[in-house]
Amino acid sequence: MTEEVEIIEKKQVPSDAVMLFGFPDVGLVGVIAASHLISETKDLEEVAYIDSKLLPPLAVLHEGLPYSPIRIFGNKNVLLAISETPISTETIYPIMNALIEWGRNKKAKTMISLTGIPIQERQDVQELKVFAAASNTELLKSVQDKNVEILKEGYIVGPQAIMLRRCAQLDLPALVLLAQCYFNYPDPEAAAEVLNGLARITGIKVDVSQLLEKGEEIRLKARDVMKRTQQELSKMKKTQEYDIPLYIT
Amino acid sequence: MSTKRKRSFSDIVDEYFENIEEMMEQMQAMLTEKPSWNQKACTIEPLRDIVVTPTEVIVTVDLPYAEEKTVKIKPLEKNVLEIRAKMKKKVKFNELGITHRKGEFQEFHCQTRIPVPVHTKKMKILFKKGILKICLPRKEEFTIPIE
Repeated sequence: MTEEVEIIEKKQVPSDAVMLFGFPDVGLVGVIAASHLISETKDLEEVAYIDSKLLPPLAVLHEGLPYSPIRIFGNKNVLLAISETPISTETIYPIMNALIEWGRNKKAKTMISLTGIPIQERQDVQELKVFAAASNTELLKSVQDKNVEILKEGYIVGPQAIMLRRCAQLDLPALVLLAQCYFNYPDPEAAAEVLNGLARITGIKVDVSQLLEKGEEIRLKARDVMKRTQQELSKMKKTQEYDIPLYIT
Repeated sequence: MSTKRKRSFSDIVDEYFENIEEMMEQMQAMLTEKPSWNQKACTIEPLRDIVVTPTEVIVTVDLPYAEEKTVKIKPLEKNVLEIRAKMKKKVKFNELGITHRKGEFQEFHCQTRIPVPVHTKKMKILFKKGILKICLPRKEEFTIPIE
């Protein structure tokens, strides 16, 4: 944990769990997937939350009670960090480093970030692909064995990029799962695909039919969060994910 | 002894313009910071995006619950489009999880400025999976011949 970011525990936190991350990003894929996971997995309850002066001065109200915008839900197998507000570029490093350090202390067996990768002409694509990148070669191999394509070359930008680099540095097993999605519009279909990818890799399964049936409702509700996320994505130069990389060998 | 490095004239000019640009962005953000809905008009502002290619401008608009046949695109002044679409059902604030406001929405409405000159009369419109796509051919602009 860093001095600037405190993780306050409300309940006993399980050890050896898979730690998932769902943060606002392209298509809000991670947040939609994480919210769905919470609503479908009945025993996932809030076990901890982030307190930090780096967060915007806001409280998220649920049933009239205040909550931190970044909370961690858990049951005996899963820890899930979700943010209900976009994480600003300046705070990504301290927040992600604190979460990784906390997960490491809780002996999380794998850290997995659920997110999207934007594609052009998304509305013409029928079957969305899910890609993965990992913090080590063994994990990459195990993902490939489960028929998930590897994101071999390119850039990833945002909290998931920091998570992957930091975990590689600390020799912690970590994955980023990226479903093809819209850049600027909430994408429940992509969230369903990333959850299907998660199920193939980890066995953490949820029924995604509600996510698809309520697609229009989710898109309407997620509009304002998407708009604020767009502003942060622009600041962190998210479009670099479209760039053709130059590799010097 | 001072360690302050002398800055070149171009550094100072660059910094000056960067500061102005930053201030403009902040002002723009302040001016555009408003609710994404209009309670009186019962309208919701949709998310939208603009891409400029060498030959056309592509505007996309996210219109969940919109009825395709009600989509209306009207060129207002020069390079401004007004987009409207009725929703298949009325949506109340409490259906969006907000219980402290009263009101309902039945239409999407927004105005979008096109950044380069286009032929609005030649626009092509597509509607798929609740996403409206408007393709506007760009007007040919003056080009400088290479000597």
